[in-house]
Amino acid sequence: MRLTALDEVSERLGLKRGQGLAEARAMFPKIDVVDEDDAADHGLLEAIADWCDRYTPLVALDGREGLFLDITGCAHLFGGEETLLKDILGRLLQMGFDVKGAISSSPGLSWAACRFGRGGVIADQATEEVLAPLPVNALRIDEATVASLYKLGLKRIGDLLPMPRAPLARRFGMHLLLRLDQALGHNEEAISPRRPVAALSAERRLPEPIQAEEHILQLTGQIAISLKSELEARGVGGRVFELVLFRVDGRVFRIAAGASQPLQDPKRISSLFSERLNAVHDDLDAGFGFELLRLNVLQHDVFRISQGDFTGNGDSEISLADFIDRVSARLGADCLQIADPKQSHMPERAEIFVPAIAARIVREGTRELSAFVPRSDRPLRLFRHPELVEAFAATVPDGPPRRFRWRRIVHEVIRAEGPERISPEWWHDEEDVEERDYFRLESEAGRRFWIFRAGHYVAGKAAPTWRVHGIFA
Amino acid sequence: MAEHATAQETLFALREQIARLEGKSLPALAAAEQADSAADPEGRKSKNNTPRLPFGVPPMDIALEGGLPLDGITEIRSHLMGDAGAASGLALSLASHLKARQPSEAPLLWICDVVSMQEAGIPYSIGLKQFGLSRRDILYASPRKLDDALWLAETALASGALVAVILEIRGNPKHFGLTESRRLGLRAKAAGRPLFLLRHAGEEEASSASFRFLVEPAPAAHRHLPDGSVLGDSIGHPVFRLTLEKSRNPAPLSLLLEWNPHDRQFSLGQDAGEAFSFRNPPAHPGARLPASADRQNRAPALGTVVAFERAS
Repeated sequence: MRLTALDEVSERLGLKRGQGLAEARAMFPKIDVVDEDDAADHGLLEAIADWCDRYTPLVALDGREGLFLDITGCAHLFGGEETLLKDILGRLLQMGFDVKGAISSSPGLSWAACRFGRGGVIADQATEEVLAPLPVNALRIDEATVASLYKLGLKRIGDLLPMPRAPLARRFGMHLLLRLDQALGHNEEAISPRRPVAALSAERRLPEPIQAEEHILQLTGQIAISLKSELEARGVGGRVFELVLFRVDGRVFRIAAGASQPLQDPKRISSLFSERLNAVHDDLDAGFGFELLRLNVLQHDVFRISQGDFTGNGDSEISLADFIDRVSARLGADCLQIADPKQSHMPERAEIFVPAIAARIVREGTRELSAFVPRSDRPLRLFRHPELVEAFAATVPDGPPRRFRWRRIVHEVIRAEGPERISPEWWHDEEDVEERDYFRLESEAGRRFWIFRAGHYVAGKAAPTWRVHGIFA
Repeated sequence: MAEHATAQETLFALREQIARLEGKSLPALAAAEQADSAADPEGRKSKNNTPRLPFGVPPMDIALEGGLPLDGITEIRSHLMGDAGAASGLALSLASHLKARQPSEAPLLWICDVVSMQEAGIPYSIGLKQFGLSRRDILYASPRKLDDALWLAETALASGALVAVILEIRGNPKHFGLTESRRLGLRAKAAGRPLFLLRHAGEEEASSASFRFLVEPAPAAHRHLPDGSVLGDSIGHPVFRLTLEKSRNPAPLSLLLEWNPHDRQFSLGQDAGEAFSFRNPPAHPGARLPASADRQNRAPALGTVVAFERAS
């Protein structure tokens, strides 16, 4: 076992990363060793990244111990780059993290400057000046390349800068030059943000943290008002909203809510979250309160302005959409469903259930498929999996049974209609799927069943199975 | 004397309050109305008109005082889970009847019970279309818990966006007692929307439903041929055996109700009997073609060939 991370005290003692645990113990018997927990480390880094969302929506994880923040266009909101960096580092220090940070025009340079240099804000013209004294490790290249560069005496980046590029590329591969160009800012490097960037977002910073649910909702409504003009300018309405709550101690909660219609109205947006907050009530621990609220529009759709009429019929449409939104926000999107027909003559494939919240949007614009309409009667309720029955005394070759046992009850058949033959769909099914002969049966008690026989009675072969597939009114 | 008058006053006030809670017309007003109606019998009808859904079957409508209330709970109960077909059929036919009488865009909400869906099958929209309800007419909900189902029913009634709500439950759950049913009843009253409570395999239970039916399956009607004659041995429109268990009317009522999905209306069912069945086949099965003597198509042998299980 080896040491993978050290705290300040052990660093001062002279321990190194990668050192054997036995060796370290022999040197300092009193050291306290904790097993590495990769998942917890990653979780902590994710949580810090979440917290950093307050500065910019573009936050990317960098390995196991770093974060990239793309602050393009954000710095002025915090009073310039210097102040921004100071603010981030100061706040993280207060939380108990030992952090270093650098702001520069390329991710590579920032990486190098905060790991091997002094960090801070690096002006564009000072790039080479900062980079030159740093060791070649600062270029994010593999150990083997570093070792061979060291062998040649190329220990600092400043040694590489005046070298001709072609021999370097021939000897060490293109990767070294790519990394060098990235650090110098000649080659654009994109960071990969953890979350998709919201199409629109608005936020409210609070001098005094809030805890109560009604305050959160009220504030959400106010933020939604400030979003409204932007939504109107674009001619869109939000479909999926996300409320991000930054707690005072750094925890971040994200609550998403969907709508079945594009929304602009602040009241309806905040009412979406009132159900959502009820649903997540126990998971949302307000602690000492939230200091920053942000409302993101993750998805939006074209907003069609429709004029209400005097009869007030438009209201029912809105209240239905509102109802669907509320239920979907509270019980999940798949709780409310509508049946969607499919083109299939197999009874169980002829429909699927789709969430109502999604289906209402699809309906507009797309052409409806003409579903298969059977001539004969279909049952009111269908079993997902047809249930095996024991059929007695069925008329051979293609008649209904005279009695059958289903769920341990024997039903005497009084009347029967059928058969209706439904062949398997060869383009979906295997070849050995049997064709079905369906019967409507009425039992003594007046119950009506939809029963089929899979296959035929063939001399010398096992009798075909009978299954009940549905019940009629 | 003055004390007596105050007591009377309080008594009247309390009576009025109780009457208001129970949704009945106020005693004093009722007396006034009766006086009015004596003078003007037509006017009373238009005034005292809570929305009702008549069955269109006279004995039933008389027992229901004009029909099912459209602003309250109607309970439909079945003895056994096996009668789920008849019970769901009645609830859906009521909804379809309602839609036929009051055409609107608003859909119907069917709050399914998860276990009932496994036991009695999932709603099948193609069958429902033949039953009188198109695909766009129904929203299905499948909440995981009873509490969610109750919340859903309450929200749906309060929103007023749905033409009716069918709440399907199984048995008599403890969490759905008189309090909850009363709450739902008040919501329904406030919004003016009906709630059909579909209780599979349930006992009679005190609830705030104004009417409760016990539904049992009954033999279906025969199919009618275009010339008006009856096609023997066929399974036509569904028939329900209804017993009105709870109503203001003290006399119990039991009848057969036939649902016509094409016209979307009810009619009184007739006892079909067992005219044609396997067990007592018709005495004179009609004209058979004469047997051809020496051709390939000979007269069929007597009886039918039947598949028996192998004995060993």
